[in-house]
Amino acid sequence: MPRSKRQVWLTFIALGMMLALLPFAVDFGLGRSWLRIMDLALLYVMLALGLNIVVGYAGLLDLGYIAFYAVGAYCYALLASPQFGLHLPFWAVLPIGAAVAGLFGVLLGAPTLRLRGDYLAIVTLGFGEIIRIFLNNLNAPVNITNGPQGINQIDPVSLWGVSLGKTHQLFGITLSAPHQYYFLFLLLTLLVVFVSLRLQDSRIGRAWAAIREDEVAAEAMGINVRNIKLLAFAMGATFGGLAGGLFAGFQGFISPESFNLMESIMILCMIVLGGMGNIPGVILGALLLTVLPEALRYTGNLQRAWLGHVVIDPSDLRMLLFGMALILVMLFRPAGLLPSRQRKRELVAKGDVAVQEQASVYDAKR
Amino acid sequence: MSELIQLEQISKHFGGIHALKKVSLQVHEGEILGLIGPNGAGKTTLFNILTGLYTPSSGNIEFKHCSMLGMKPHQVLKQGIARTFQNIRLFANMTALENVMVGRHARTRAGVIGAVLRNAATRTEEAAIGARAHELLEWVGIASHAHRLAKHLSYGDQRRLEIARALATDPQVLALDEPAAGMNPAERDILKQLIRRMRDQLGLTVLVIEHDVKLIMSLCERIAVLDFGELIAQGTPDEVRRDPRVIAAYLGGGAK
Repeated sequence: MPRSKRQVWLTFIALGMMLALLPFAVDFGLGRSWLRIMDLALLYVMLALGLNIVVGYAGLLDLGYIAFYAVGAYCYALLASPQFGLHLPFWAVLPIGAAVAGLFGVLLGAPTLRLRGDYLAIVTLGFGEIIRIFLNNLNAPVNITNGPQGINQIDPVSLWGVSLGKTHQLFGITLSAPHQYYFLFLLLTLLVVFVSLRLQDSRIGRAWAAIREDEVAAEAMGINVRNIKLLAFAMGATFGGLAGGLFAGFQGFISPESFNLMESIMILCMIVLGGMGNIPGVILGALLLTVLPEALRYTGNLQRAWLGHVVIDPSDLRMLLFGMALILVMLFRPAGLLPSRQRKRELVAKGDVAVQEQASVYDAKR
Repeated sequence: MSELIQLEQISKHFGGIHALKKVSLQVHEGEILGLIGPNGAGKTTLFNILTGLYTPSSGNIEFKHCSMLGMKPHQVLKQGIARTFQNIRLFANMTALENVMVGRHARTRAGVIGAVLRNAATRTEEAAIGARAHELLEWVGIASHAHRLAKHLSYGDQRRLEIARALATDPQVLALDEPAAGMNPAERDILKQLIRRMRDQLGLTVLVIEHDVKLIMSLCERIAVLDFGELIAQGTPDEVRRDPRVIAAYLGGGAK
């Protein structure tokens, strides 16, 4: 679809305006709690994009991704809270958290290089649990993580002496804490999107795709599979650590409970549901899966309006509907809501019989 | 002609199965060497050892008089030995062009920072990768399919795409594992021309495994014959054709 440069710019400007006005509209229309949900949704977008590098680009199924989120969050919490009496500035803590998470990515990647598919999934799942259990138990003999109680009173994000935890006035507009976090998260999300897009269409991105398609052939074509895989793990983990640090600053409190297996699976669901390997799809998936479970809390009111009283407890119905929605999407759009060009061709049947036959012959040959 | 590859007493066993038994073979620079033998003779095993996919149980491989033992496939490729696979191993869900572009990986450098900043050096490199890939698709004659997915190409075109991808790595030696399998006579002729051109125009040394004896006899200057993991004969097509051990291997022991 050819579009003129001007149209592209106009679209960008309109989109930018919308994103800038969105928090005010949400705050006004739905309330402060929904604004906080939007902030969290942006964090999940970052997480999903990070996991998309590992799973979507390089094809390495990682079920312990939340561990990197935890590492980033705990790095931030330990370096900017009364826990150790350290209060390092935000611009130091966030990169440290991201870098340490990246290092953990390599630590996880190194022993799993020879594993594929199901086996890799199991090992990464174990890794995720190990990190959580460590965080849960590192309160004795030396208290590092404060165990299951978690870490409290984490410093809010502070930029150039302006704490995002407090309400500020700017040009006559009142910006509450969630407003300010929204803009910070939006900025960093855009950065993550930008990096993901650039990586996808590059020498490294092609190498990831080649490994996903056929590891033996990729190696025979001169790709150092070990390094390229580790790079995918490290990049994905770095994004996870970044989101984790922001989460710690935003919440002010973290505990190992926030980083359980269910979270890893949710993030994986986001990219599968949205469309693995396709950035708009992943973003859509992350937004939907953050907002939908929250929205489904309101089924109680609906039941009362239609039936006169609450028949099924909304908290029970919520996960049921959520599961059903997932199944329906996977049945009717197996490649995700917004599939990538490649996955679409892979999974959606073509009318052209010859083409289809060719594909099946090829698959049989493998 | 100088020796390019020297295989010395190569053996490989998988558990109790001896796939190769003390095979010694020289490959000369600029020749087209055919490797034939009945099924299970160890031809592909030899290729896998040559390209670093397997490590030999004993013996030594030298490429340009340097040992290649213990090298990983990507290191072997960087030295200048590229290959294709018996059961085509293209990147099925990437376009033909992208497949060839992946082949340029080992000869280019851009990393994460280059990819993100997309600075002048990276842009120049990317443009060169794209241009070279197009050129190679043109060269093997499938430029019109550049933007089709690899898995949607016809069988013969997939074989040619695999060759283009291997050529993209700037090899000195190209090892083709049954390149004519599944091709019709017309396609075989095109392939034969292509292999000749690779040697004559690009100065490559070509190793070919092939079951089609007619093709091998008319294409290769020298032929090596494997049977049950042993090198039973080598020489010009005429010599090999007359060798009693070769005849026995192909017609069965009872023909003696």
